[in-house]
Amino acid sequence: MAEPIPDSPAVEIRNARVRLGETEVLRGVSLRIPRGKMVALIGPNGSGKTTLLRCLLGLQRLDAGEIRLLGEEVNPKSLKRVGYVPQRLQLEPAFTLSVREFLALRRPDTRHWFWQRRKTIDACLHGTLSDLDVESVLDRPLASLSGGQLQRVLIAHSLLGQPDLLLLDEPTAGVDTPGEHSFYELISSIHQRLGITVVLVSHDLAMVFRHASWVFALNGVICCQGHPEEVLNADSLKAAYGIHVTPYHHHHSGTDVREEPIRFHKR
Amino acid sequence: MEFLSEPFMQRALLVAIALGPICGFLGVFVTARRMAFFSDTISHAALTGVAAGFLAGFDEPTIPVLLYCSLVAVAMLWLRERTQLLNDTIMAVLLSSSVAGGVVLLSLQRNRWSELDKYLLGDILSVAWTDVWVAAAVSVVVMTGLLWKLNPLALLTAHEDLAHVAGIRVRHLNYAFVILLTVAVSLTIRVLGILLVTSLIVLPPAIARNLSHNLRQHILLSLLVGLIGAAGGVILSYPLDLPTGPTITLTLTALFILSTTGRILRREVAPVKPVT
Repeated sequence: MAEPIPDSPAVEIRNARVRLGETEVLRGVSLRIPRGKMVALIGPNGSGKTTLLRCLLGLQRLDAGEIRLLGEEVNPKSLKRVGYVPQRLQLEPAFTLSVREFLALRRPDTRHWFWQRRKTIDACLHGTLSDLDVESVLDRPLASLSGGQLQRVLIAHSLLGQPDLLLLDEPTAGVDTPGEHSFYELISSIHQRLGITVVLVSHDLAMVFRHASWVFALNGVICCQGHPEEVLNADSLKAAYGIHVTPYHHHHSGTDVREEPIRFHKR
Repeated sequence: MEFLSEPFMQRALLVAIALGPICGFLGVFVTARRMAFFSDTISHAALTGVAAGFLAGFDEPTIPVLLYCSLVAVAMLWLRERTQLLNDTIMAVLLSSSVAGGVVLLSLQRNRWSELDKYLLGDILSVAWTDVWVAAAVSVVVMTGLLWKLNPLALLTAHEDLAHVAGIRVRHLNYAFVILLTVAVSLTIRVLGILLVTSLIVLPPAIARNLSHNLRQHILLSLLVGLIGAAGGVILSYPLDLPTGPTITLTLTALFILSTTGRILRREVAPVKPVT
């Protein structure tokens, strides 16, 4: 196996092809994400976003092509440096795993949480949790959290693994609009503070516009890429979504952020 | 409590003490992963194991039961991975075909029909010292296995993909858990019988769930309830002159009703409002 190259990109995909049944979901995707960037991967339903994410996580094999994460092949060793924030957890109410226990699973010094005192676990977790506003829910069962609380806990869980690359899958699905804003502000501040690479897989164009420094529009292949203002225009979005999409406009007045809802016009 | 000086009662109690807690521990993950029907399918598969064991000349068909139940358990996982069939469909097919196969095999040896009750409803009072040692050994193995793999199992139950990214070999762990469950269920059939064994897997964690606020409490209480239910049922059945297996299930059912009522009265369970 090749040694990782120190200045290699965080993610490098070359000509990735995946066929699921009769459909070729990825038809030769190539992209390169430099380290330390916050990028977004957008695309309509069925564009292959989830499949591409599953490939990055080693959950889906490529039929052709190559993926390298942080200079290495996708394998358990390289995945240890990846933080993953799934869309949601499908937890049974019967599962009583508390937030404290869930977070303790991620750290080596709290892996014996079953035998450890609560104070000991909290002391180990405190450093990572201080900015994330999850300490108030440590005693709560994971299954009882609201969408916004759960997303913060999932972020905390991934950060406890000290990742170099953070992958977020539709992170604000099921979160209300004020919650979405604060969530993306949080991700931005984490990105700036820790300098890690963040990849947002999202359909939320407004948030992408505000927070990502680079955007990839996917629809089986990378239709276009560039700075948000370059990609989020009608022509580029037409190429990705196949329909006319009026780009977002933000109106800032003090702290109040109002948005025009996205409009889809079939032509 | 003089009856406890009877060797058959001592053996029964020891088997209950060995198997009750591990069923409770396994049950925490069985219920959280919606595998109660899975456990029921494994126990019903035992009927074919019993009948095949009789046909092969075994007096006590523990080994054929264990082998056939493991085969069914692995087949369930394999079919789930390789086909588009729903879990419930796979389990229903294997459950019904195992029961039918068992009855057909038993019909070939009518001289052993009379022993069927023992396997359908359990017969803990007839266990030998060998059964006690086997139950103790299995208890140690299952307990050690679950504690050793507690973190991966907890993460797997929360989210399979997260577990994968954390470096857990999800497929191996799924198979290992199912094998531990199969071994425990196969042996507990001697206590509760094919028809009732799932009660010792499902009721202790359900009772413990009503009283706990985190996974640690849930596991510890489920172990304790499994112990109390199994041992309590054995003890109660003697003076009340009741069949032991059903007494264990009814003891646990009474605890479940009490704990659920308590939880509702504490308003920890919100009633589900119908959509109008």
